[in-house]
Amino acid sequence: MELTRRAALKSLGAGAVGVAATSLVSIQAVAEESSEGKAPKHAVGLLYDTTRCVGCQSCVAACNEVNNLEGDLRADRIHHSAQDLNSFAKNIIKLYRPTDGSGYSFVKQQCMHCVDPACVAGCSFKALTKNPDNGVVGWTSSKCMGCRYCEITCPYHIPKFQWEGLNPKIVKCELCKERLAVGKEPACSTVCPAKAVVYGTREQLLAEAKRRIEANPGKYYENRVFGENDGGGTQALYLSHVPFEKIGLPDLGNESVPEKYLKWQKRLYSYLAVPVVAYATMVAVIRKNWNDHQHHMQEEQERTGLRPQL
Amino acid sequence: MIGFWERNVPVFDIPVRSRALYVLTGLFLLAFGLVTYRELAGLGPVSGMNDAYAWGIWKTFNVMTLTGLGSGGFAVGIAAYLFGRKRLHAVMRTALLTSFLAYISGMTLLGVDVGRPWNMYLVLMPWRWNYHSPLLEVAVCMPLYAMFPLFLENIPPVLEWVHEFRPNFRPLVEKATAVMSKFYPLVVGLAYLLPAMHQSSLGALMLLAGDRVHPLWQTPFLPLLYVWAAAFMGFSCVAGTLLFCAIMWKRPMDLDILQELSRITCYVIVAWLVFRFSDLLVNGKIPLAFQFNQFAVLFWIEMVILVVAAVTLFDSAKLKNARMMFHAHLITAIGGMMYRFDPTTLAFKPKSGAFYFPTAMEILVALGFVSFAVAVFIVAAKKLAIIPAPISYWHDYEREVLANAPEPQLSTSGQALAAAQD
Repeated sequence: MELTRRAALKSLGAGAVGVAATSLVSIQAVAEESSEGKAPKHAVGLLYDTTRCVGCQSCVAACNEVNNLEGDLRADRIHHSAQDLNSFAKNIIKLYRPTDGSGYSFVKQQCMHCVDPACVAGCSFKALTKNPDNGVVGWTSSKCMGCRYCEITCPYHIPKFQWEGLNPKIVKCELCKERLAVGKEPACSTVCPAKAVVYGTREQLLAEAKRRIEANPGKYYENRVFGENDGGGTQALYLSHVPFEKIGLPDLGNESVPEKYLKWQKRLYSYLAVPVVAYATMVAVIRKNWNDHQHHMQEEQERTGLRPQL
Repeated sequence: MIGFWERNVPVFDIPVRSRALYVLTGLFLLAFGLVTYRELAGLGPVSGMNDAYAWGIWKTFNVMTLTGLGSGGFAVGIAAYLFGRKRLHAVMRTALLTSFLAYISGMTLLGVDVGRPWNMYLVLMPWRWNYHSPLLEVAVCMPLYAMFPLFLENIPPVLEWVHEFRPNFRPLVEKATAVMSKFYPLVVGLAYLLPAMHQSSLGALMLLAGDRVHPLWQTPFLPLLYVWAAAFMGFSCVAGTLLFCAIMWKRPMDLDILQELSRITCYVIVAWLVFRFSDLLVNGKIPLAFQFNQFAVLFWIEMVILVVAAVTLFDSAKLKNARMMFHAHLITAIGGMMYRFDPTTLAFKPKSGAFYFPTAMEILVALGFVSFAVAVFIVAAKKLAIIPAPISYWHDYEREVLANAPEPQLSTSGQALAAAQD
C-alpha cells in the first residue's frame, strides 16, 4: 500500500491520542504513590540552635571518632581543619561573620535527612535509601556505582566523594545509624556541652523548637524552624538568629525537589504505558513505510541488477 | 562536484592508512594509557572534578553533547521512516554509523568516569532498580539502544561485506537478511522509542538539580527541549559528516538531499527556539535574560548562535550552496552542544567559590575517545558501503575491487559430493 503523508499523520495522531489517554490514567496511579510526602512514622533527627552553639567542635571530633574518619589533616598534617564538608568530614562547624560587624553565628553542617530527598530519588540502584522507619538517609557501598549524581542533586551540597584511590566511597552523615540501631544517640548530640544540637524524634524536636520560639519572640530569624516544610521538610531542624541563607540553608520553597520537578517524568513512565503505546503506534507507521521502501528497493534491483542495500 | 546519491559505495579509491588515521589512533592510545592511570589513582589526580562540580567534561561533553550529535540515526530515521521522507533513506547508513560510534565512545567513557564501575552489573537486575531515577533510565536505556536496535541497524553493511568477500557464507547472509527484513519495523520502532526516552532523560537529570540550574535553563520542559535539540543536532551531524566526507574524499554531493536535510534542520531549530521562548515568556522568566550577568550573556550567545544557524541553513538550502550548508550545520552543532552543555556546567550553580576547569589529562582522554570514534568511522567508510554516491561509483568499485574478490568455494563435503557424482 502506498503511504501518503496524510495516512502517516493520521496514525501518528491516533497514537498521540493514545499517549494522552494513557498518561491521564497514569496520573491517577502517581497521585496515590506520592502521598508518601510525609516523614516516616518514627522519624528521628537533630535540632540545632545557633544561639546556643559555642563553636567548640566537640561534635566534629566525636563524629570523626565514631565514624572512623581520620580527619582532614591536609592543611598542616596535625589539625583536623576541614574548610567544608568533604570526604574527610561528615560533620563540621562553620563560622559566619558578616563584614559589617553585625552578629556572627556558628553553624553545624551535616546531612539534613530530607523527608523526600533528591539524592534518593536520583540514585539508580538504591545505594542511597531513606530508612522507612526512622527516615535516616543511608548509603550502601555494594549498590553505588560512583556516578556522583547525588552531589549534583542535593540542594544542601551534602554528599561528598573520595576523589583518590581505587575504591572511592560516598561520604555523608548517616545519623550514626549503627549507634541508633543499638539504642544510642548520634555522637554529635551526645557530646554537645551547650545542648546546641539535640537528638529526638522529629515530632519532639519540632515541638521543642516551637516552644523556644514562643518563649523568645523575635530571637529567631523569621520566628520559624528551618526544615519544618522547607524543601518538603527535613529531619535536621535549624533555629537561627541570622538569616538562614547566610548559614547555607537555601530558600527552597515548601515543595521537595523530586515533587516539584519529577512529577511529569513519573507520569510519563508509570507502568511504561506511554512508551508502549508510542512504540505500537510507531511500529504501525514504520511497517507501512518499510513495505513501501522494500518495494522501492525491489524495483531498483530489477532496474540496476544490483543487490538491494538496506 | 554534484551528483545523485543512488547507492552506498565504499571509499575504495583512497588508501585506508593516512596520516590523520595515525594521529587519531595515537590520541586514542594516549587516552587509553591515561585511563589506566585514572583507574589506579582515582578521579582526583587525573581530572579537575571536585565536590562542587562532581561532573566533568567526560559526562557533560562526551555524553551530554556527543550523544546529542549522535542522534542522527534517531532523527533522520524518524524523518525517513515515520514521516516518509523517502530520499533520506540514502543517508541512513551514515546516520546510523555516526550514532553508533558516538554512543559507544560516550558510554565507554562513562564507564571510566564512574567511581565504582564494578557495581554497574546492577543494570542487569531490574528488581534492584530505582524506577523513578532519571539516571537509571539513561543507564538502562542508552546501552540497550546502542547494543540492540542501533547495533542491528548497523549490521547490513557488514553482512554486505561478508557477502562480497566471504562467498562461502552467502547462504547465511541471505538467511540473516531475510530474518532481519521480517523484524525490521519492530527493531526500527525501538530505535526511535529508546533514544526519545534517554535523550529526554538526559534533560531530566538536570531537573533533579532543581534551583541549582539557572532558571533560564531550568524548566519542567527540559527533557523535551533536550530531545528536541538532539533532533537538530543529529541532522546537523549527519549533513555535516556527509559534506565533510564529500570534500575530503572528493565525492559528488547530492544537493537535493542536502537541501532537504538543511530545510528540516532549519524548521526544527525554529520550532525549538519558539518553544523555548514561549516557555520563558509564560513563566515570566524573560526579565532574567536582560540582567547583566554571565548567565544572561550565555543565554544570548546560545540564542544568537542558533538563530544564525537557522538563517544560514535556510539561505544555504535556498541557494543550494554546499559550502554555506557546511558552515550552517557546523554552527547548528555548536549551538546545540552549548545548549546541552550549559545546564550541567556553565549555568549550574555550585557552592560559592567553587571552580572547575578540565585538566590537560581530562581533555586528552575526552579527545582520545572522540578520536576513536572518528578513526573507526574513517576505516569503516573506506571498507564498507556507508557513504552514498552515484551508481557509476559502484560500477567502478565492482570493476576495481569486487572483480578481485574470491570466488565461492565448494565446502569440503561439497567437493566430496561432487567427486562421488563424477
